[in-house]
Amino acid sequence: MTAIEVRGLTRRYSGGFEAVRGVSFEVERGEMFALLGTNGAGKTSTVEVVEGLSRPAEGSVRVLGHDPFAERSAVRPRMGVMLQEGGFPPDLTVSEATKMWAGTLTAPRPVEEALTLVDLAHRASVRVKQLSGGERRRLDLALALLGKPEVLFLDEPTTGLDPESRRNTWELIRSLLRDGVTVLLTTHYLEEAQKLADRLAIMHRGRIVAQGTVSEVVNAYPSRISFVPPNGVPLPVVADADSSGRVTVRTNELQSTLHELLVWAAANNVELSGLDARSASLEEAFLAIAEEAA
Amino acid sequence: MRAVAIGQAELKLFWRNRTALFNSLLLPLLLVPVLISVDAEGVPLVVGLVGFALLMAVYYNLVTTFVARREELVLKRLRVGELTDPEILVGASLPSVVVALGQMVLYCLVVGVITGVELPSRPWFLLLGVLGGVAVFVLLAAASSAFTRTVEMAQVTSLPVLMACLFGSGLMFPLSALPEALGRVLQYLPLTPVLDLLRAGWGDGPVLKPLIVLAVWIGLGTYAVQRWFRWDPRR
Repeated sequence: MTAIEVRGLTRRYSGGFEAVRGVSFEVERGEMFALLGTNGAGKTSTVEVVEGLSRPAEGSVRVLGHDPFAERSAVRPRMGVMLQEGGFPPDLTVSEATKMWAGTLTAPRPVEEALTLVDLAHRASVRVKQLSGGERRRLDLALALLGKPEVLFLDEPTTGLDPESRRNTWELIRSLLRDGVTVLLTTHYLEEAQKLADRLAIMHRGRIVAQGTVSEVVNAYPSRISFVPPNGVPLPVVADADSSGRVTVRTNELQSTLHELLVWAAANNVELSGLDARSASLEEAFLAIAEEAA
Repeated sequence: MRAVAIGQAELKLFWRNRTALFNSLLLPLLLVPVLISVDAEGVPLVVGLVGFALLMAVYYNLVTTFVARREELVLKRLRVGELTDPEILVGASLPSVVVALGQMVLYCLVVGVITGVELPSRPWFLLLGVLGGVAVFVLLAAASSAFTRTVEMAQVTSLPVLMACLFGSGLMFPLSALPEALGRVLQYLPLTPVLDLLRAGWGDGPVLKPLIVLAVWIGLGTYAVQRWFRWDPRR
């Protein structure tokens, strides 16, 4: 069953700038879908429309079968949102801010439970303005989880978190996914998407330029073998040279190409110095997309 | 009512904000001598104090509150929750309105007893005036906040409404002291019909025209808020 359905979404700001241009994707129930992209790619602009903060200029959005803008009251009780930048009154304490939020919800978790989930229970009586950036992100996450949402929107949830908190947050998100929560994540940490997401889309300048499972997206890009070639011996494979004298071989069959190359080197008794072979990673796919489109 | 959760949090913030406390609780006392110099009669004094509470405790306080919550990204955060837009605005307005109503009751009792004001003969007009006044100035505060970039700027952006109402609605000096044509124009300021209705609570002044003017202001204010109110900071 589909939890989120986005069709041909275009978002235009006053002034005519098109931040999102014809984006389509679907997120199944219980799945995590990640939106990746460079800064300014249109991730947050997309997610804000899916959250129902704004009406799309063109296209349609459905969350749990409803229009999130027009039927806000039907959808909101079932979703939790962590904005990229959300605020709390700086002079409230952590527990006061959480209680305030709980008071606006149909069926909130106990405040204590929500704070424990994000490891903030020990900071309950501290004013929001005294929290660190990472603690503020965790408070935001606690509020997003307070209403026991079926669909969770996380806009760069781990930005500003130290490595340990980041790992804990990932663990928490995994346990939510196990409980059947649907998650739409935006992030610019590729590792985060690779670890957590079932499927992902890479955005660039308002469009989705690649979409699928991590391996589908990555497999569209070739593996690379690079080395400094021996002088005066013609290579058995097609390779691009760069200015430093290093060459790069791009291949969709890393193992056989590498084998061919090594057999050739042994037969000719030459050394491939600085040999480096790697399969395509999400990072390479991402960089290639950003380069291609630039 | 879910908006109360916001109201309770706002009330805590109000008690923790010295500027707001001073503006709402002490400033009006400083005004009593000014108002007495205009008219030492009981009813005009009570009416003036209610008008002043609407301007300072409701309007001015709320312009700064709306701007502060917007710039702190609190409004943006609230807007992805379950509350509707009107509920968020009502919630954020609650403490200022409650404090203003408390002030009004207190001043009316104190001034009323000292100057021997009789109980209003038509209290429902008094009530209409207060409720209509609260509605108008909450809406105007929300509209003004849209044109206010920072909390500090609120001191400037609130001046047009504050000055127009202080000087143009007979708070600082009676309208009868002004040329008749000017006085007629000033009847259309947002505070004037409120004060007319309050006075009508004690006398038999006209009520139809003030009610219409007030309704038009509430309509205009609602339109302005829907059209211009900003939920997130200008970038």
